[in-house]
Amino acid sequence: MVSLVRAELRKLLGLPTAWVGLVLGTLIAPAVVLLNAPYIRRAITAGTLTDPSDLGLRDLGIGLIGPMILGVIVVSSEYTSTGQDAPGARQLTATLTAVPDRLRLLVAKTTALVLTVAAQAAVTATATLTLTQVLHGEHVPAPAPTRVVAAILYWALTALLAYAITLITRNGIVPLTLLIINSSVVSVSYLLTKVTDLASYLPDIAGTQMFLRDTDFPVEIAPVTAGLVMTAWIVVLLAIGLILFQRRDA
Amino acid sequence: MITIDCVSKTKSGTRILHDVTFEARPGRVTGFLGPNGAGKTSTLRILLGLDRPESGTALICGRPYGKLDRPLTTVGALLDGSGAHRARTARAHLRWVAASNGLPDSRADEVLEVVGLTRDARKRAGRFSLGMSRRLGLATALLGDPEVLVLDEPVNGLDPVGIRWMRAFLRDSAAQGRTVLLSSHLMGELAETADDVVVIDKGRIVTQGGLADVTGDHPTLEDAFFTLTATEADRPW
Repeated sequence: MVSLVRAELRKLLGLPTAWVGLVLGTLIAPAVVLLNAPYIRRAITAGTLTDPSDLGLRDLGIGLIGPMILGVIVVSSEYTSTGQDAPGARQLTATLTAVPDRLRLLVAKTTALVLTVAAQAAVTATATLTLTQVLHGEHVPAPAPTRVVAAILYWALTALLAYAITLITRNGIVPLTLLIINSSVVSVSYLLTKVTDLASYLPDIAGTQMFLRDTDFPVEIAPVTAGLVMTAWIVVLLAIGLILFQRRDA
Repeated sequence: MITIDCVSKTKSGTRILHDVTFEARPGRVTGFLGPNGAGKTSTLRILLGLDRPESGTALICGRPYGKLDRPLTTVGALLDGSGAHRARTARAHLRWVAASNGLPDSRADEVLEVVGLTRDARKRAGRFSLGMSRRLGLATALLGDPEVLVLDEPVNGLDPVGIRWMRAFLRDSAAQGRTVLLSSHLMGELAETADDVVVIDKGRIVTQGGLADVTGDHPTLEDAFFTLTATEADRPW
């Protein structure tokens, strides 16, 4: 299994798109902290900031584009056509001839993805929170370690969500577009919370409550429950993805 | 040794393989011959565990492909394209494949040398010509120094030098005791290389045996093929 994980890590980190995800995801959140600094200072002075302990942690959300890209391409790269000469040819053929046990393959892939994203999240969280301390130190309490760990977990779970969806769709463009739009331009999940309270249990909405306190969702979910809700979504989607992956012809 | 026994498969409501049964033996080149769409690739994909048969078994050295431990050390396979992601260099592709089967990195450079791609090791697979892609695919098949080779249309896209090289390579492999199964629709090519021939048409095996037996009284393998498959040479579709 160790050699399989090593192979999957090599495969993932050998893709230029993976580095786009790694670099973007790691740099955006600290950059936003820097850009927002003057506005946050004014908000602190004016006293409009309700929960300063969310500062920095909240900025981590924008970096989620990184784990989303990684989660999608770890699967979609298998299904991309390898060339115009042979439109049906895909890397998946090489992958499955090398590792025909599809369950072991997915376990190795999942492990490689989680290791990569967790490392990225740890670096990003450290950079973002340190920067927040440096810029607004006197007004912001040092972040509780459990909340930082929860934020890192949220990144890993977001990557797994993107991964599970792509395993079902076998195409990266649709899930990547939807996930990025939903997390940045228009949050459909957030709008849905205005329509029904049930939307509070959508994976991205529940997930943020693992580490953020000051949210305006209709249903407040305790951090551990929030983590369990998001995990449950991923377990179900991964199970569907696995069954389809096992049954489908490659 | 490859044993395919009563393999049937239906795709989108159409039966594409009917009880396909044949063997490929060690030390011999077995040519799997048939027109486009006859079921050659479908059979090979089932043999390699990529697609699932509806019924029947396909075994390599007595075991289904999925049950082979570190399969690349037993079977080398070449299907459509090179199998390398376009953004990856030839060497990076070979190294991850090697790692997945516990083979050392040094194997990547060794097989690149065998197929004559050493100078292109750092080139991205997306920039490869068709012939180079086939060579990279073959290099991947050779990583584990396998005793069985399964090659789908291996000479497709190769230039005359490449075709000649491939022919010699296949003969050498069989001479060393390997089992070589290759599919082709090029009859002249197969007549030059194969010891045994299996002919498939519309998903059914129409004949199999030694090259001389299959050719029989016909002047060439090509003539025998047209008679067997009842394809009219002047009106093929």
